[in-house]
Amino acid sequence: MFVIALAKGRMMEQSLDLLASADIRFSENVATSRKLIFDAQDGEHRVVVVKPADVPTYVEYGAADAGIAGLDVILESRADLVQPLTLDFGRCKLAVAAPRGVALSASENPTVRVATKYPHIAMEYFNARGIPVEIIYLSGSIELAPLLGLADRIVDLVESGRTLRDNGLEIVEVIVESSARLVVNRASYQTKRGEVLKFIDALNKAKSCASSI
Amino acid sequence: MKAFTQIPPGTQILIGRAARRRRALEQAICSVFEGWSYEEIVPPIFDYYDVFIKGMGTGLEEQVYRFIDRDGNILALRPEFTSLVAKTVVTRFSKATRPIRLYYSGEVLRFEKPRGGRQREFAQIGIENFGSNGKSSDIEILLIAVEAFQRLGIADFQINLGSVDFFGGIVDRIDLPEGQMAKLKQVLNLKDQSGLESLLQELPLEERRKEILRAIPGLTGGREVLRQARSLIRNQRSVQALDHLEEILEVFENVGLARHLTIDLGEIQGFDYYTGILFRAYVPQLGFEVANGGRYDGLPATFGEDLPAVGFSFSLDRLEQIATPKLEVDDPAGEAIDGEAFDKALQLRSEHKAVRLCL
Repeated sequence: MFVIALAKGRMMEQSLDLLASADIRFSENVATSRKLIFDAQDGEHRVVVVKPADVPTYVEYGAADAGIAGLDVILESRADLVQPLTLDFGRCKLAVAAPRGVALSASENPTVRVATKYPHIAMEYFNARGIPVEIIYLSGSIELAPLLGLADRIVDLVESGRTLRDNGLEIVEVIVESSARLVVNRASYQTKRGEVLKFIDALNKAKSCASSI
Repeated sequence: MKAFTQIPPGTQILIGRAARRRRALEQAICSVFEGWSYEEIVPPIFDYYDVFIKGMGTGLEEQVYRFIDRDGNILALRPEFTSLVAKTVVTRFSKATRPIRLYYSGEVLRFEKPRGGRQREFAQIGIENFGSNGKSSDIEILLIAVEAFQRLGIADFQINLGSVDFFGGIVDRIDLPEGQMAKLKQVLNLKDQSGLESLLQELPLEERRKEILRAIPGLTGGREVLRQARSLIRNQRSVQALDHLEEILEVFENVGLARHLTIDLGEIQGFDYYTGILFRAYVPQLGFEVANGGRYDGLPATFGEDLPAVGFSFSLDRLEQIATPKLEVDDPAGEAIDGEAFDKALQLRSEHKAVRLCL
């Protein structure tokens, strides 16, 4: 059985569409069911549904052979994974943002306070630029932090940029352009090589068909 | 008080059956090593920091537990064995007959995020062979690894064998700025087909070279991989690497072990350290490699003598996570005897029988 971890939420529908176009289909609606494990009709694949940030963990440990996760989540996890394919959905930017207008002026504060769901990425970004930083970990509504004076800046995902605008924030710098990736466990890549390559190939084909439409 | 009730992160405690199983695993593997005439070496748990840093190179510094002695020397708890063993061989065995065969078993310490069943203190058991650089020493090491798996009753294991010189021969001929070379290695390490393709479009390389780089992630499998690789490359270093791998594969075919060997030219991790063959061993039940090794001819020279060297180690903590059907773990089932029957206890013990006093 080849186990694939999919992320609940914004990338679920497109991940399932991609699997379907690679002929991996399910008799139930994976996106709406409350179950967490689904066997595909082909009898060869199994999907497990986990929180987006957990996909790299399941795959790194081999609890799932492969998974579909955003690059943002993969980088934050620091998991050692094979990443054979970039997929064409889940596009967004991981960016540093600040209240409009103050973005370019040097802060009075010697240490920049940054609110984020991505503490590792944010720390690395500011360290690499020699900017003293205090990371404030939040698990949601990051845009709120600068408005209430909790943080000077935020590091967060930006899809359309509307949430930022509506909260008086603007992008200072894009850290990374993220999109969905196929990730594979390093040992599975070797011990289930035939299945892995078949799966990569099928997704690759499905992906190029979709983009040519 | 915290120190009395908690344990520091990354440590582990083996008790009872788990400890007996660890010991049984160690003994089984040691007996395989001894069966191939390897002598045990018990190196110190700490040495000068420079021993490990010079030996293992960059990337490891941050993971080393170090401290300063009263004379101001920087010492470190061993983060691996190979450097220690290599140093000992150079300093103590300079006149010994070659090859020098040594095995070790013990804990190493690294300040890293515990993962894959490895804590900050974890157990390694392995061998080092110094002073012989022929293909026979490479094959000897591989056969020992195979026998260790078999001894434990692990029927389904896979050794992925590659060579630093195959990829080395290719990049020798590619002149790229450091940043792009690092990027190239990164996408190859991730086996990132999409990333490789977009990087290749930026790189000022001949189409033929791009063709080679594009093929690398897929160069894993049996004999056909060697054929495919030969059709792509002409440089001498890579060709010799392929010849060498083919010779090893032939031996494995002749002794009926080829099903355990996968030629893997697509793996480029661990390249700063190894100088010839390198390999990793996997079992289907575990998401992490259980053993790795290879040739590191450059290391002994760091300590003053240019000696060829090849070796590998098992991660005991990871082996413990998989089924080892042939490993016998004795349960101490002592005969229950009266708590005051000391004569009887001594009598039974003199016959090497287990006893359990009912206290």
